[in-house]
Amino acid sequence: MSFVCLWSPAWRIGAGSSPAAPNAVPDLTTLAAVLLGAAPRVVAERRTNDEPGRGAGRTLADDAASALLWADAHGLDAIRLATTLLDLLRDHGIADARAGIASAPIAAELAAASGEWRRASETENPSLAIHHAPFVTRVLADRAFLASAPIAALDPFSPDPRLRTLLFGIGVTTCGELAALDRESVEVRLGGGAVPLWRLARADDRRVLFAPMPRELPHASFDCIDYTLSSSEQLLFIINRLARRVTEALTAGGEGARELALAFALEDGTTHREVIRSSRPTANRSTWTRLIRTRLERLTLHEPVTGVAVQVVAAAMKESRQGDLFDRGFATAQATDDALARLVDDQGAVVVVPTPSAHPLLDRRDAPAPHTDASDGVQPVDIKRGIRPLRTRKRRELAGVAAVPTAAPRPALTLQLIEPRVIDVRTVARRDHHVPVRYGDDGRWHEVVDVAGPDRISGGHWDAAYAREYFRCVTGAGLLVWIFRDARTEQWYLHGWWD
Amino acid sequence: VSRGFFRAFSPLLAFGFYSVYTSRPAFEAESQPESAAMSARVAQLRALLEQRFPDTAPLPERLERPIVATGIGGLDRVLPGGGLSKGKLTVCPPQGGATSIFRAACRGIVGAGRGERAAWVDGAGTVAGTFWDEGPVLIRPKSPRHALRAAEEILRSEGFTLVVLAGTDPQGTETVRLIRAAAEGGTALVALTERAALSSVRLTTRIHPHDYRWRRDPFGEPADVYEAVVRVHARAPGWNAHADFPIPVMQHELRLSLEPGLADRRGVLPRRPERRP
Repeated sequence: MSFVCLWSPAWRIGAGSSPAAPNAVPDLTTLAAVLLGAAPRVVAERRTNDEPGRGAGRTLADDAASALLWADAHGLDAIRLATTLLDLLRDHGIADARAGIASAPIAAELAAASGEWRRASETENPSLAIHHAPFVTRVLADRAFLASAPIAALDPFSPDPRLRTLLFGIGVTTCGELAALDRESVEVRLGGGAVPLWRLARADDRRVLFAPMPRELPHASFDCIDYTLSSSEQLLFIINRLARRVTEALTAGGEGARELALAFALEDGTTHREVIRSSRPTANRSTWTRLIRTRLERLTLHEPVTGVAVQVVAAAMKESRQGDLFDRGFATAQATDDALARLVDDQGAVVVVPTPSAHPLLDRRDAPAPHTDASDGVQPVDIKRGIRPLRTRKRRELAGVAAVPTAAPRPALTLQLIEPRVIDVRTVARRDHHVPVRYGDDGRWHEVVDVAGPDRISGGHWDAAYAREYFRCVTGAGLLVWIFRDARTEQWYLHGWWD
Repeated sequence: VSRGFFRAFSPLLAFGFYSVYTSRPAFEAESQPESAAMSARVAQLRALLEQRFPDTAPLPERLERPIVATGIGGLDRVLPGGGLSKGKLTVCPPQGGATSIFRAACRGIVGAGRGERAAWVDGAGTVAGTFWDEGPVLIRPKSPRHALRAAEEILRSEGFTLVVLAGTDPQGTETVRLIRAAAEGGTALVALTERAALSSVRLTTRIHPHDYRWRRDPFGEPADVYEAVVRVHARAPGWNAHADFPIPVMQHELRLSLEPGLADRRGVLPRRPERRP
């Protein structure tokens, strides 16, 4: 990384202000916009006395800069760029601007805005920096360049004004002397707040002046010059071709797209944008074609299309599963994953793993969680312990179901729950309660041969209160049903059956 | 048209199969070169007929197809070939323990350690999470129509050994699509439905009302059902078998506390504020 720092004495605030234009810091945003014509990225930095990094009520040092312009010279000829930027500033009336070039921002800043100390150090060691033009200084060795700088040069970055006094008290007057200390001694003697200053003295500047450049994601576009597109077949054909180019680019990069954007340029000059998401990153052309086709079937554009663009909005590296010698289903895991992903794309989160809660009502215990890994469908074999112990036991314990051995696939009649359905029930008295003897459902009456119950359950608060009497009844057809009487409304319901 | 065609020509087709599969001794009596040529033609014709009308092949021929054992002894004994046929449709009405048997079959296939997968398509949403066993992939589509699409999708994936479709009744063309998908994916398909058309094996399960075993309370009345005897009947062309086996009945505990996480304070008098003199 190479930084170009631009500074002018006219931008200084405070003690060293120019008499001609005191505190006349120009509109840095305007200047930055001008400089963007020559540099790819320019940042304006303005420092005031209220800035958190500066101690309140403190005077500026003579060498401190109050306004700076930064240019990113990464991959460019920094000398030529700095000269060009100075020429641009000169064209806008700033004739005394200076430029500092260094790998660390702190070194570039001090190279541009330093004073007597720099001239003295360069006299002692002329190999530290090179003057390429009257106002362009290129720092060759950042840390060595900073070594002779007085501690006061770091004042704009000092969180506590007392630090300078403390440093002076232990005999540290230059950045080189501060950098020569180790971190532990700085922390012990001066406190944790001095560590950032110590880092700067070592030319370890952690400021992020320029955010990382976002890389360009694969995209493809098509523009109609002499005609417009109005039929869906034409549109689909073109989009398929564009999607193919995009997926090929993704495949070449070993990536998969998670989101794809379709941008339709309409005849009236507007742009309609559709974002299509896949459940998992994929570069599969057929998958994206299917998703695009599904979206286009529901899309209505009010104007003819003059251009189409397909662009990857979000991409991720393709996941490659680690192979397992003892997983005999590994060969088909990818196919299964793909099928389940297609299913999720089409129908939503339909692949679920039931995770019952401890709610007293059985029908309110279910909270299905989306299935995330298709390999769960395969029972992996542990060579030491045999088949992986099932978490079902724990779940059964939680749900109050007696544990059953799971090693052998032994069928067991389980309750099939439905939404409670109103039924007609005829009852007879049995000791202190009434039991069903027949019930009517779907227009037919079912005789009850055996009945066990009631199992009474109640709870809830306010309008969610419940009080139910459950019965297990064997019908004449041999079906074991679960019915209940709502004690609050005196209504009977069919809630499920064992099958 | 196709239905009329099959009605009209099914006897002819049956005779054709009969001729193809029973005419071998007659051909062997011919001279050797001519016999060899005819045998090749018969083999080609047999292969063609098996390809076009796979379910009309005699049972011994069908038994050579891949079979997936469910691991349930009682069920495997009554199924032709000792298991479910891959690429075929097995139909069973959803009653009398059918759900529990095929859910155990899914569990058995997944737990056998052969790297096989099973999926349960719950079209009606009747699977209670409390009773769901880990292993098979559970798919809960929004509607029966979505259930058919989901079943077709995973059948074609070739990643599943057994797919059970429950809670939906596929019609004629839908059944054909599912069977074709099962054949392409090499998956054994079980549909829990009353509609048995186009199935290769028809299973029925039944529990007699008096085959439930009860624990009695001190008054001699039924208190808890713990076991039931299931009769499984398998039918296929040239195959008729049945078996009876007992299976346990899963129960769940009714929680009597007011809400999970709250102490049951019923019967505790509310505390009155202390009076200060």
